[in-house]
Amino acid sequence: MMRSLKRIVIFLVAVFFLSSCSNKEYPPVQENLSIAATVNIKDKSLSFIDLDKMEKMLDWEMDKPYTGAIIFPDGDTILLYGKQVETADLYSLKRGQKIDSWKTGKGIVNGKLLQQGSKIALVDQDLNKIRFFNLNGEEQWQVKTEMNPLTILEAEKEKKLFVLSFNKKQLTVIDLVKRKKIEGYPIHPSAAGAWLNDAKGEIWIGGHGSGAEIEKDIHVYNSVSGEFIRKIPAPSMPINFIGNDNHVFVLSHGTSKLYQLNEDGNVLDSIVVGANPFEMLLIDNQLIIAGYDSNDLHIIDAENLKINKTISVGNGPFQIVVRERK
Amino acid sequence: MIFNMDSIAKKLWLTITAAIVVTIIYSYFLSYLFYEKLYVENVEENLLEEGRRLAAEYEGGPLSDELKDRIDWYSSKSETEIFIVSNPRELSACLPFDIDYETLISGTEREKLLKGKPVKKIGYEERFDRKIMAVVIPLLDENRLEGIIYLYIPLAKISEVTTDFAYLWMIAGILFLVFAIFTGTMLVRKLTKPLIDMKDAAGKVSLGDYSVKIKNDSMDEIGQLALAFNHMASSIQKEDERKKEFLANVSHELRTPISYIKGYSDALHTGIIKEEDQSKYLSLIHREAGRMERLVGDLLDLSKLDSNEFKIEKTPLPLGQLIEDAVQKYILKMREKEIEFNFEVDPDVIINGDAGRIEQVLQNILDNSIRYTDNGRITLKMYKINERCSIEISDTGVGIPAEDMHKIKQRFFRVNRARTRKDGGTGLGLAIAEKLISLHGGTLIIDSKLGKGTMVQINLPVLDI
Repeated sequence: MMRSLKRIVIFLVAVFFLSSCSNKEYPPVQENLSIAATVNIKDKSLSFIDLDKMEKMLDWEMDKPYTGAIIFPDGDTILLYGKQVETADLYSLKRGQKIDSWKTGKGIVNGKLLQQGSKIALVDQDLNKIRFFNLNGEEQWQVKTEMNPLTILEAEKEKKLFVLSFNKKQLTVIDLVKRKKIEGYPIHPSAAGAWLNDAKGEIWIGGHGSGAEIEKDIHVYNSVSGEFIRKIPAPSMPINFIGNDNHVFVLSHGTSKLYQLNEDGNVLDSIVVGANPFEMLLIDNQLIIAGYDSNDLHIIDAENLKINKTISVGNGPFQIVVRERK
Repeated sequence: MIFNMDSIAKKLWLTITAAIVVTIIYSYFLSYLFYEKLYVENVEENLLEEGRRLAAEYEGGPLSDELKDRIDWYSSKSETEIFIVSNPRELSACLPFDIDYETLISGTEREKLLKGKPVKKIGYEERFDRKIMAVVIPLLDENRLEGIIYLYIPLAKISEVTTDFAYLWMIAGILFLVFAIFTGTMLVRKLTKPLIDMKDAAGKVSLGDYSVKIKNDSMDEIGQLALAFNHMASSIQKEDERKKEFLANVSHELRTPISYIKGYSDALHTGIIKEEDQSKYLSLIHREAGRMERLVGDLLDLSKLDSNEFKIEKTPLPLGQLIEDAVQKYILKMREKEIEFNFEVDPDVIINGDAGRIEQVLQNILDNSIRYTDNGRITLKMYKINERCSIEISDTGVGIPAEDMHKIKQRFFRVNRARTRKDGGTGLGLAIAEKLISLHGGTLIIDSKLGKGTMVQINLPVLDI
């Protein structure tokens, strides 16, 4: 009797220690839902939103300071990275568990799925490189850029990748087929956020402004030659761009403003949304905007810019990723 | 003030001075701290109040140029440096992008401002390249930080005020220090003067001058010490006098019989005494030798009694019997002197005493009575009163003059100053008797009238069986 009790105790202690060593478990995210996830910098959490019900489902309190995420085409794997994190970590949404880690080293500040989700480009500010991985985490190639690369923009048709550097007034262009850097062109300082106007062969680039200067305009360049074409006023600090068939949406975090423009650069409408918003996504003709200071998500009708819903999330939502129901 | 190296005055003075200096320095720093804290808090509160009043002008939305102009105008009129900032860059709005720019407010300060709380700063600010005290008031439109009002004053202004305060304090402190040290010195002098007096007086006493008296009016410990010293000095003086007198008495008492013995023996030796007179001279020498023996015996007794070496062996005694036995030796002598003797004792009285010593006392008293009574009467009574018994021996002798009554028990005192050998006593009898009676727990009282007679009363505790 005593012996069996002793065994149970030893077993429980062993389970306790082993489980504390193993990966932390998070509440699972159901497979069959359309969800948005915000990466919240200030409280190191992820907030998951059910896009059908337009409400927050759950939070994951993370141990590491992740700043961004990518959801893989399988709809279940989420890759989390951060400038101060040594690895890019992969989690399964439905299991709520870490499944893998890529040894990327510190410095990853941005990441995007490229070429219809077959590749991943990670922006490394420690190495000042764009690093290309397949979905198994194998690094395939990398390209040196200017100092502090941040925004990347894929031109799907041309199979090019535009890279904006924060410190250098130079746009880097990468040929995704030849896997090498091709000739870029000079642009304005402290650029951030860009949109390709394929119809007109333009690239629209925003920014924060350099030094104490605040960027008030969108700078429009010829996407191939780099020739400066014009400025579109969108005060202040336009840093996020999305285009759909009808409009271009520009998010200016300095004034917490969302602009609705046509492709000619005329402002059709604008609203104030959230507080200090950085991130914007367009899904089903609805804009999802995260207020970094207001700690909330705003669901906005892309046609009339009406705010349909405001959802509270964790502190400091910096990035939004979306998984649509298959 | 000049002190000896090891004087108590110096130690006291140093202690008092050190205590004063430490107190002043400590209270200086303490009050400086409090003052600065209060002043700084007050300035901070004013800045905050001013900032809040200005912030009340903001009505939401982006900061208007009009508001900025008004704040600028106010700043030009105010002693406080005030400016309004709407640049999101300065407000750390781009913080997550890791922009290489020294912002006016930090990320944590921005978080505080976003919650609507003002930020207070004190210390060096790189932007202004000096030490400042600043208050930052957020201008919030809902939860959007549209701008801030930044109010600051250089810390130099505050330290100017505290420096003035410090100077004032220092002057007051030095004045107080001088005053306190002066007062302390006076106090130390007053306190230690009796001690110095006492030291001097003790020096005089040790040189044999017992007449010194310390003047001291206070009744504190030192005053009491001075009183005790005076008392001690006068006691020593009395004792010294007594000793001298005693020695004089002893040598005098011994010299007389020795000179007799020497004279008579010289006479016998040289043969100037006729043969038939020789036995008479020998008996004179014998009488004087006996007298010396008694004197030395008495002195020995007294010295033993004084040094508490004297042992009495108490046993239950029938006092009446004892008295009767003692009196028997004197019957013949009294008859010779034609003295009438009345004798009346209570035979039942029993005391706890040393028979030999009680007899010695009776002998001493009866010797005196017989010696000073001629053709008179001696009465001896012994009776019991309550727990005690009383022995009364009264005579109708010469009596004692009233002025000598208080000296009668002193050693070598004799009413007859001439000390004629006719009287024959040693002058120690009563002194010894009193000591012995007191060792038995009793008292000895003498009452006398000149020419009428003397009465000696001995009271002793009775042994209850």
